[in-house]
Amino acid sequence: MYRKQVRRRRAVLVGLIVGSLVLLSAHFSEARSGPLHVIQRGVATVLSPLEAVASQALKPARDVIDWFDETWGARGENDELRGELADVREQLAEAQVAMGENEEFRELLGLDKDELAGFDPAFEPVTTRVITRSPSLVNASVGVDAGSADGVEVDDAVVAPDGLVGRVAEVTSTSAQVQLITDHRNGVSVQVAPQGPQGIVSAQAGNPEDLQLEFFSNDEEVEEGQFLVTAGWSNGELSSAYPRGVLVGEITETTLAEQDFQQVTVRPFVDMQDLQYMQILTGGPKRPGVDP
Amino acid sequence: MIVTRQIGFRIAAIVLAAVILQVSFFSYIQIFGAAPDVVPVVIAAVGLLGGAVIGAVVGFAAGFLLDATLLQTLGVSSLVLLSVGYLAGRYRESFEIDGSSAPALLAGGLGLLAAAGFTAMALTLGVDGTVSGLVVREVVLKGLLAYLLMFPLYPLIRFSLRPALVLEEPSTRRPIFRKRARPGRGRRPGARVRRASAPGRAL
Repeated sequence: MYRKQVRRRRAVLVGLIVGSLVLLSAHFSEARSGPLHVIQRGVATVLSPLEAVASQALKPARDVIDWFDETWGARGENDELRGELADVREQLAEAQVAMGENEEFRELLGLDKDELAGFDPAFEPVTTRVITRSPSLVNASVGVDAGSADGVEVDDAVVAPDGLVGRVAEVTSTSAQVQLITDHRNGVSVQVAPQGPQGIVSAQAGNPEDLQLEFFSNDEEVEEGQFLVTAGWSNGELSSAYPRGVLVGEITETTLAEQDFQQVTVRPFVDMQDLQYMQILTGGPKRPGVDP
Repeated sequence: MIVTRQIGFRIAAIVLAAVILQVSFFSYIQIFGAAPDVVPVVIAAVGLLGGAVIGAVVGFAAGFLLDATLLQTLGVSSLVLLSVGYLAGRYRESFEIDGSSAPALLAGGLGLLAAAGFTAMALTLGVDGTVSGLVVREVVLKGLLAYLLMFPLYPLIRFSLRPALVLEEPSTRRPIFRKRARPGRGRRPGARVRRASAPGRAL
């Protein structure tokens, strides 16, 4: 009797392990339209209303915990922010002068203002709320309550008032999964504002606070405090998934590396931990190499 | 544990509630840079109460649900959580659970194992660049948080699944009324003594 129980227990364990491995390899290798992805999207669609209700109902409790957390953190940040405010005022004055000049030059050249704006007017922003969050630092992603029924597609860019959030990685009819720019699988081509050199920012796996600017030559001169915006490039065959001119972050540290590329650390403008609402930029111009 | 249909529904409800609470509440809370992971704690509790087979099956199902909800690669969480449920069940089958801190200590250890497992799987499946040292801090903190979470969760889950538990601890309460031996009706010589079964030993 006991041996039979042991055999049964082992058989169940082996069966479940094999089942997990089969699921894993099949899901990893199949296309987005494959049966496992369809089942997964079905389960996510069924559960997303529950998640939305739970997220909304538990918001007061989250806010209380956030309040304690922010109060604790705010004490140290106060002096730092005062220093930053002085710098930003200086930069604002310079920017206002530059904008005035820019306006004059545009009028002189007779260019259409909308065509040169950072955001293409063809984008249709869909405002959405965060309903789920991954518990692991390694997978930096959030679930939102807008899906393909709202016009959301995979690889759409996602922004918040402070800047770039990430891109849509998966879509169901009522929800979508947004891969944050602090996820190690995400890379964003950026430019040092206003007309500085370009590079790619990506995150270290497990570090939700800082990004690294890669492929950045030692010859390029950058300083701490400079802003990065999305480069939004396109060469006709390939293009960036993100529109041009969206704020990404601020350079916080630069060190010359041993090889040809320097190490530049960037702090994103958007606080990914406190994300509640964001906009998904749907529609927009066709992006070669990104859109099917 | 005897799993009837009603108990099956209860376990399913517990797992569903744990997954929903995880993704829509606990993942938002950052304690020294780590979010509490409630699902492995719940699976460890179910494994401790139900044994290795039930722990493994429930862990697999919870992992599938978690991966489906977060639109992650299916099978990753199932593999980690079925190990958690199985190990918790094996502990229950092999050792006596004595003292209130034993389940919590076990949950701490299994929480650490689960966090390390999730991280290792995620890194194995797709990291080309460098890995931050913060990952180690997260794993250790998650183990600590799992230890703390087990104190309220274990009694709660045990209470929810109480009708299915085969053996409960013998009650220490004394019976209120005790029959007194009547005078003149003593035991006949050679008669067998009937012993009352241990109080509170419900089957």
